[in-house]
Amino acid sequence: MKQRNKGLAICLTAAVLLLIAALLAGSPGPSESVQEAMRDAVLHGTGQISLFGLMSVNPGMISALLVTAFLLLCAALIRVFAIPRFQYRPRKLQLALEELVGLFDGMAKSNSPHRNRFLGAYLFAAGSYIFVGTLSELLGLQAVTIHGHPITLPAPLSDVNAAIAMGTLSYLVILSGGIVSNGLGGVGRTLKEFSLPISMSFRLFGALLSGLLVTELVYYYVALSFVLPVVVGVLFTLLHALIQTYVLTMLTALYYGEVSEPSPKKEKKKKLQAENA
Amino acid sequence: MPLNINLQQILLHWMNLAILTGGLYFLLYKPVKDFMDKRAAHYQELEDQAADKLAQAEQLKADCQAKLDAADEEIHQERLQAQQAAAQAAQEQLAQAEEQAQRIVAKAQAEAEQSKERALRESQREMRELAARAAKKLAAKPGADFFDQFLDLTEGGRTHEGR
Repeated sequence: MKQRNKGLAICLTAAVLLLIAALLAGSPGPSESVQEAMRDAVLHGTGQISLFGLMSVNPGMISALLVTAFLLLCAALIRVFAIPRFQYRPRKLQLALEELVGLFDGMAKSNSPHRNRFLGAYLFAAGSYIFVGTLSELLGLQAVTIHGHPITLPAPLSDVNAAIAMGTLSYLVILSGGIVSNGLGGVGRTLKEFSLPISMSFRLFGALLSGLLVTELVYYYVALSFVLPVVVGVLFTLLHALIQTYVLTMLTALYYGEVSEPSPKKEKKKKLQAENA
Repeated sequence: MPLNINLQQILLHWMNLAILTGGLYFLLYKPVKDFMDKRAAHYQELEDQAADKLAQAEQLKADCQAKLDAADEEIHQERLQAQQAAAQAAQEQLAQAEEQAQRIVAKAQAEAEQSKERALRESQREMRELAARAAKKLAAKPGADFFDQFLDLTEGGRTHEGR
């Protein structure tokens, strides 16, 4: 108990000293106004990064590629080292993986009982991507823009292009479920929800961007960079990573289940065939 | 385009997501799900086997119960037969005993009848002999009252009138 109190006192003293030092040192002065910083965070007009020298892309694209590479690398390592050692009585890692797969598989099955194999796989990938991608902004990975300025890589989905890609791809997945299950009827059902790709895209973009803007705002001022980022940077990021993952996967599963549900005519035909048989 | 929307980058993101979905499916999702399915099938098989064994045990129990019931019924029947046989044997013995008793009684009655007849014949014979002897003596004593003499003789020589 005494040791814990001692440690706490040391931490508090160090924090206070660092705060005083930061305030005394001051900052060299903002290189851009807060309006410019926030506009750049949204539009990436000046913060473009070269993609292997081929083209200039938004920092979100680089983040997306890094997140994908990280996820695939983890998956490959797990596939090679962990999965062959799986046992009927699971250990910690196996249990976590099974919970993760079971979560998205269960979500697909419960929302789309008629057709859910591909949906489960897509939800797993999309959920992992959104969650890990959102958390990746906590790492604060640095990159250099084409103009030579350093930039912190944001969450992939705070880039409007990534959010649109995610939203439209989810819509295409829903559309594919409708076509496979009900043919042209499924297309009609999916097209009825024409606003879905826009709402999904901009919901993601808005949620992630708001987090980014708040973080930018907090870090813009030195006085706000103390203690507050623990809440804003870590807890909010964790929270909205979870929420956005849940919202997008749940919406996709819900609409997929709706459009892939067999039409009443088909069900009647099936019942009649079963009765005749 | 407004908001810096770039079709080329959207397509790049699509490609990125497609690669990620495929990669995660083949590297992680499918193997883990296959393993989970395999384990579920294994436990389902165990459950089926347990159910089969339970059914067999129930069947065995029912068979044993049927055999026990049959044995009980058999014992009951045997007991009934034994009781009937015992009752029949007792009845036969009783009848034999009654028959034997009747025979004994009849024999005793016959023997008693014979003894009675024999005693009667004997007494008659003695009576006749006595009568014959008395007649002889009477015939030998003249002048006496025959009737008194006879009575004296029969009473062992004492005089009839002296009594």
